[in-house]
Amino acid sequence: MKKKISIILFPGSNCDRDLENAIIKCLKIKPNFIWHNESHIKDPGIIFLPGGFSFGDYLRAGILATKSPAINELIRLAKKGVPVVGICNGFQILTECKLLDGALIKNTSQLFNCSKVSLKIENTKSNFLKNFKKEIVEYPIAHSQGRFFIDKDNLNKLYDNNLVAFKYSSPMGDINKEFNPNGSIDNIAGIFNKKKNILGLMPHPERAIDKFTSQDGINFFKSMEDFL
Amino acid sequence: MIYRVYVEFKVGILDPEAEAIKRTINQLGIKSLKNISKGKFFDIEFSKEDNYSDIERISKDLLSNPIIENFKIVKK
Repeated sequence: MKKKISIILFPGSNCDRDLENAIIKCLKIKPNFIWHNESHIKDPGIIFLPGGFSFGDYLRAGILATKSPAINELIRLAKKGVPVVGICNGFQILTECKLLDGALIKNTSQLFNCSKVSLKIENTKSNFLKNFKKEIVEYPIAHSQGRFFIDKDNLNKLYDNNLVAFKYSSPMGDINKEFNPNGSIDNIAGIFNKKKNILGLMPHPERAIDKFTSQDGINFFKSMEDFL
Repeated sequence: MIYRVYVEFKVGILDPEAEAIKRTINQLGIKSLKNISKGKFFDIEFSKEDNYSDIERISKDLLSNPIIENFKIVKK
């Protein structure tokens, strides 16, 4: 069967072309674009939710997108085990529809933060990240509502189940406030769901696939070959 | 029937916008300011009476995120 990848699009998505380029370059697959008001996703493969400002980020980033027919379908498929990746606004959508724990709120600085960050990969045993040999990667971030918040009990559950995927760190892997770009609790930048078929992260691996920026994103996509 | 729904951050969640407003109030020279919290409200009108279950659902599933926010419904 032909390998498939789907990207769900919303009014205001703006990282979909970068994501398409990255998928074509790294996985040699042309992804299918799914418009948000489609209620059936046939043969989805891996489903990506791209970055951007779905529905203008009105009310709370990601919340209006969660009521789309395509997201209802995504919830149904994700619960059946279909792999789902949400990047930036996609991560916000996944927390708002409760497929991932926690919430993403305004950066402590109040500023839109557009920069390159180092990330420590916390869990190389997941199907999403198993290709990684080195522990620290460099991806760009670009968000104003990226501060990951979760209450203490649920934070402990994330750790107990090994569900933290990425943490903001120094280039040497130190995790502290100095290298926390948005005020996220424990520097958390990305998490899995309990079944580990859903990954959400604020940084943009799709913008780290060429020699002019960083090439650390290539492995991110290549790691997913086993899901296809 | 019009309902007003107030949404605000739960206690303990840092609201940088409220902190910025607090700093500005301090700059106005008002020394007695102790704390500030902010929220938002929505006025929602229904064509029928007694839509309490609907407004509750809207408040819980859309207007607020229970992880970070509380809501309060008031009849106008």
